Amino acid sequence: MSRSSSVEDLPEQCKDLFTQDGVLLKACLGRPVTDLNSIGMLCIVQNQDNSKTIEWRPNDLITIDSDTQDQEWAVVNTIGITMSFAKGRRQRTLSGNITSDYATARARIIKIPIEELKTFRVTRNNQQMQFSTKPGVWQTTFYFQHGNAEIFVAYLKNHVKTAKTRHDRNTYVVVEPNIESQVLNKSFAELDIFTENTTDVVWNLVSNFKQRPYETTMEAFSKLTDIVYYGNEGVNGKRDVSEEVVDLLTKSMNAMEEATTVTKSDEYEVISVKPTLPPRPSIPRGTPLSPEKWWALQDTEGRITEVEGVKQLIFRGGVAHSIRQCVWKYLLDYHPWHMSNAELKALTKKKTEEYFSMKLQWRSMTEGQEARFSEYRDRKSLVEKDVNRTDRTHPFFAGDNNPNLVILQDILLTYVMYNFDLGYVQGMSDILAPLLLLLGNEVDSFWCFVGFMDKIASNFDMDQAGMKHQLLQLQQLLTFASPELANHLAQKDSGNMYFCFRWLLVWFKREFSHRDIMRLWEVLWTSLPCANFHLLICVAILDAEKDILISKDYGFTEILKHVNDLSMCLDVDKILSTAEGIYHQVVSAPHLTDQIRIILGLPTMSNSTSTHSGSDAPTTSKSETNGTKEDQGTGMFGQEMDEDTLEYNGLQICIVTKTVWALLA
Amino acid sequence: MSSRKKALLKVIILGDSGVGKTSLMNQFVNKKFSNQYKATIGADFLTKEVIVDDRIVTMQIWDTAGQERFQSLGVAFYRGADCCVLVFDVTAPNTFKSLESWRDEFLIQASPRDPDNFPFVILGNKIDLDNRAVSAKRAQQWCQSKNDIPYFETSAKEAVNVELAFQTIARNALAQETEAELYNEFPDQIKLNANDNGRNRDGDNCAC
Ligand SMILES: Nc1nc2c(ncn2[C@@H]2O[C@H](COP(=O)(O)OP(=O)(O)O)[C@@H](O)[C@H]2O)c(=O)[nH]1
Ligand SMILES: [Mg+2]
Repeated sequence: MSRSSSVEDLPEQCKDLFTQDGVLLKACLGRPVTDLNSIGMLCIVQNQDNSKTIEWRPNDLITIDSDTQDQEWAVVNTIGITMSFAKGRRQRTLSGNITSDYATARARIIKIPIEELKTFRVTRNNQQMQFSTKPGVWQTTFYFQHGNAEIFVAYLKNHVKTAKTRHDRNTYVVVEPNIESQVLNKSFAELDIFTENTTDVVWNLVSNFKQRPYETTMEAFSKLTDIVYYGNEGVNGKRDVSEEVVDLLTKSMNAMEEATTVTKSDEYEVISVKPTLPPRPSIPRGTPLSPEKWWALQDTEGRITEVEGVKQLIFRGGVAHSIRQCVWKYLLDYHPWHMSNAELKALTKKKTEEYFSMKLQWRSMTEGQEARFSEYRDRKSLVEKDVNRTDRTHPFFAGDNNPNLVILQDILLTYVMYNFDLGYVQGMSDILAPLLLLLGNEVDSFWCFVGFMDKIASNFDMDQAGMKHQLLQLQQLLTFASPELANHLAQKDSGNMYFCFRWLLVWFKREFSHRDIMRLWEVLWTSLPCANFHLLICVAILDAEKDILISKDYGFTEILKHVNDLSMCLDVDKILSTAEGIYHQVVSAPHLTDQIRIILGLPTMSNSTSTHSGSDAPTTSKSETNGTKEDQGTGMFGQEMDEDTLEYNGLQICIVTKTVWALLA
Repeated sequence: MSSRKKALLKVIILGDSGVGKTSLMNQFVNKKFSNQYKATIGADFLTKEVIVDDRIVTMQIWDTAGQERFQSLGVAFYRGADCCVLVFDVTAPNTFKSLESWRDEFLIQASPRDPDNFPFVILGNKIDLDNRAVSAKRAQQWCQSKNDIPYFETSAKEAVNVELAFQTIARNALAQETEAELYNEFPDQIKLNANDNGRNRDGDNCAC
């Protein structure tokens, strides 16, 4: 716990502005191979002369005091951002152990002066980062064990002004190094005051937010760094300032949000500084799962073994229409993936019998029985009314005495007997219509409908709790992914997102043609790439309307009208692609919160146990990486990044995430 | 004095699912009836300009889903209503019985400033059908018992009384508007009146 003697102050008067651990040195020009593949931490260091350096230090140089560490995390957690910047600390070694090892280790430190930094890039799904001080050569390559290079980038961008080239969104060109050096000078000068008269400093900073949010934030960050890395002792043994700093940070981050600007020029766009969302990758859609692939995916018995692979293909491109009848039964949990043809045949027989026995229950009801059974009668009357107004413009359901309407009604009445408590709720006929249209068969349609209803049962809660919950989650996601729009909606009494009610209740059925809704649904049924992807579809649609809604200053009624009028004017592929882009933006955002993680079904930080300590052995193997938080689900990536393609019956299936990042690279 | 009054009237149509709310609204606004309308999910509205006593006013007619469980979300749209139209199906007695609870629910959720005098209009729809089950007389009596609510027998399908009913709705809504304006102009007077009447509700003092 105590700061060890002289060793502590060895690195001159340098200060770590930001450090990130779990970073492996993969390549470095002019370094012996023995130096490579060791684990360490990557830091942004402020030198005595205020110049800055990116430093990588091997772990054998660092000993971590677990007590301090806990404390530091506690500070960070209170402000709800979980970034490893707080883990910055000086290099420490155990006292008395200054041996030649230490000197050797020190020689292994890699320094890149920020002044000289020309470009850097992030590749391999945030796992790899490369730096260059000379055009055309990547001198150093680092591997981020936690796949979180974007965090380092976010912080590096506090110190250099960067631009992205149009053709490669992963490469950053440094346009102006050392943007805030004056500010930092000042903030360090203030440090002394800080310990003497905290309120004065805080007040100064607060009053500065509006005029200079960026600089003010930098000051706050530098102070936080300082406090945390001096641990309990603090600069002058005083330590109560953390709360103020936390407060300060939160406020300044908000101020930053408002002050964020994006300047576009022909060649590149200059993106401003703060932990806003990373740029949205534009991810092209794939081709639909073809019959050839689908049949090839089955073994001789008809079993489908590569379920995840199939789902990922479907997520990427949907299903070719000619095999939808078959594939949907799997996606809707009617046909289990692992059943052989023979087993499926038996299952179908059983399910057919079950269906008809339930159908018989209402078919055999006499008029007298029905007259005395008001609960059934009410349900039946609702069904009859809705069947008559379900997709009547579609040829399949059009015209008087259309027999397909009878089937639609029979299935819904049978569902009433299958789940009498839920009964019939408006919206169900909309859910069923495309299934019947596609499958044609009463029994198959019924069981697929059951499978679909299981996925969205909470939409039909008597107290509408499920809908309300989703509307809230949508609002939270939008606030994270499109804060400007969320803010506008809140100002216009629309923060409750009621205008998205129809979208959510019937999964966009009313917004798309039959053809398009089939595509959208089959993609959503895969449950990829995360939980509640349908909410990201909402965010994608809304984000595209953001400019109109805000610039026209639409209020409550206009917003509702505008959203309702989008029906049949939406491009399903574009929306899917945007939603996926937003997904990647959100999950790689440095300031991703647990609230959002929970909505998307990702493991939360608060119960993630992975903090790499200095005792970690250097590692290059990916399975080692999987041993940390990724394999708890962060998480598609963890396992799947291991394999490029899946081989099956001579057929290659590209794993979705891999494909995506290959496309992005 | 009429020239400067607000020219937008917000009208809410309520009633059980399937009584013909959407059809009535479309018949009035678009002069069309279709068998192909979909069941309403969520909420929507249509607007139409009408002339009432030589004044042009815009009616904003709100239509929501009728099934009971969706009501808790529908209430978001009640606020600021100038008139409420309650619809039942003359061939379905249950829908007639529901009127009372629709009316109460509206008054609770929209909490208009003067609930006793808030304008309602009742429409008995689908009179073109043969299997009528609620007589005009029965409906009429109920309306009288509820502070003389205007009652119309309509057919959205055959455009019977639809225009007339909505003219009345506009007129009554406008009357309500006028009163609201008076309240806004003389807030002190409200307090006085309220006290005189011996019932001092919060809403009365509110100049919003
Ligand atoms: N015969 C007849 N049918 C009607 C009339 N109004 C509505 N309908 C039918 O009743 C059903 C429900 O109408 P809709 O307007 O959707 O009812 P809502 O649920 O109250 O909006 C539809 O099938 C309409 O075609 C009417 O005046 N006469
Ligand atoms: Mg309707």
